Amino acid sequence: MKKVISLCFILALGILLLAVVASMPRMGDPQSPTNTHIIDRYLERAEEETGAENVITGVILNYRGYDTEGEVTVIFTGLAAVLAILGREKRGRVHAYPDRSPVRSSLVVRSAVRFLFPFILLFSLYTVLHGDISPGGGFQGGAVLAAGAFVLAAALGLWSAGRPVPPWLRYALEGAAPIAFFTVGVIGILGGAEFLTYMLPRVAAGLQPSLRTWMTLFIELGIGTGGAMIFLSILMALSREEGEPL
Amino acid sequence: MSAALSLILMSLLVVTALAATFSRDLLAAVIIFSGYSLVMALLWQRLQAPDLALTEAAVGAGVTTVLFVAAIFKTQRMEEEAAGDEDEGEDGGGEAR
Amino acid sequence: MTRLAENFHYVGAVLLFCIGLYSVIMRPNIIKKLIGLNIMETSVFFFLVSLGWKEGGIAPIYGGGAEPSRMVNPIPQALILTGIVVAVSTTAVALALVILLYRQYGTLDVDRLMREEELEAVPPGREGEG
Repeated sequence: MKKVISLCFILALGILLLAVVASMPRMGDPQSPTNTHIIDRYLERAEEETGAENVITGVILNYRGYDTEGEVTVIFTGLAAVLAILGREKRGRVHAYPDRSPVRSSLVVRSAVRFLFPFILLFSLYTVLHGDISPGGGFQGGAVLAAGAFVLAAALGLWSAGRPVPPWLRYALEGAAPIAFFTVGVIGILGGAEFLTYMLPRVAAGLQPSLRTWMTLFIELGIGTGGAMIFLSILMALSREEGEPL
Repeated sequence: MSAALSLILMSLLVVTALAATFSRDLLAAVIIFSGYSLVMALLWQRLQAPDLALTEAAVGAGVTTVLFVAAIFKTQRMEEEAAGDEDEGEDGGGEAR
Repeated sequence: MTRLAENFHYVGAVLLFCIGLYSVIMRPNIIKKLIGLNIMETSVFFFLVSLGWKEGGIAPIYGGGAEPSRMVNPIPQALILTGIVVAVSTTAVALALVILLYRQYGTLDVDRLMREEELEAVPPGREGEG
């Protein structure tokens, strides 16, 4: 009986949502409200106000910088929650991590992953550094790096994935994203403007745009490495053997 | 042409979502979900969102899938049968003793 | 009715949302519920980004002579970028809880878990007392 009620509820919700969709403006209409009111102003002045050719990077780091700072706090809190639930491997014991895969991967998979991993690494660095002139940015590059490390872990075992980065460095870099944000924000205050502002009055006018680019790049690098290390630590925590010392 | 391509991709999306929901094998469901992420990344590109396509491909097919696989290796692989059957089995066993 | 056919992106998003909701409500396995939750989240992201699409629009990146007046709306894309990362964080925390749950109870089926909780909630041998 409960199943029938649930199915009816889902069906009713679906029909209601479809009715709303039928009354919405046509998708892609240039005269619809999402395409007319304020967006032209931001699209035209994004490059001069944020110094980024990629408007999305300009939006998430400049116009909505606080939101991005909240978001790096969210992933960091996610890591803290996972570690609070499952515990972290004891320092120095990651070298003795048992291989997680119950059977050894085939030779094809192992060779392919070993061949691809340096390119993935290079591509993630490229994506992070080119965030403001092409599609890319901090999160995107960090996600690609995390995906590369995960593929390495899935094919070659966790020890191979954890080896390139020594544990102490991984622990230190997990907090890189919030620290980068806070540092750039304080630089904004020291430069005579508000927290997390990029155009600083105390700096010579000719240097302001390049300082803005440097600050943006610093934040992006922080987000990229911090995000990748956080995901790697989450995978290590999820794969931790039960009963290993905390 | 462009609308037809988007329509095909979206029906593929619905089919993979249904397959992931109704699969009994959890590992198969997770791999199908990784395929869902791939099709979603293609759709992001159709909607002129290259940053989202990059992030969805890396996060959906890379990070989320491997996290799910790690969790499945630590728990169980097959979804259990309906609870009604379990009940019958336990009662029958208790009475027989 | 023709409007529904024109907005087929929105219709697809609603359909995916209902499929994800079905998985969350009606499947007893917790990992299935998590997969359903992820499907719901991505369907909402899909809906929001297709709201900002414009006919003949181009990606919101300067360079190569892109005119700002032809770009699609970048605001939903920036917000959904944040949303994707938050979704994967919540999935990670939920999976950690699932692993702990399995260690404690040995099962991931929600119906069995609820019945075992009720059995454990009655302390043995104390029914006689007030």
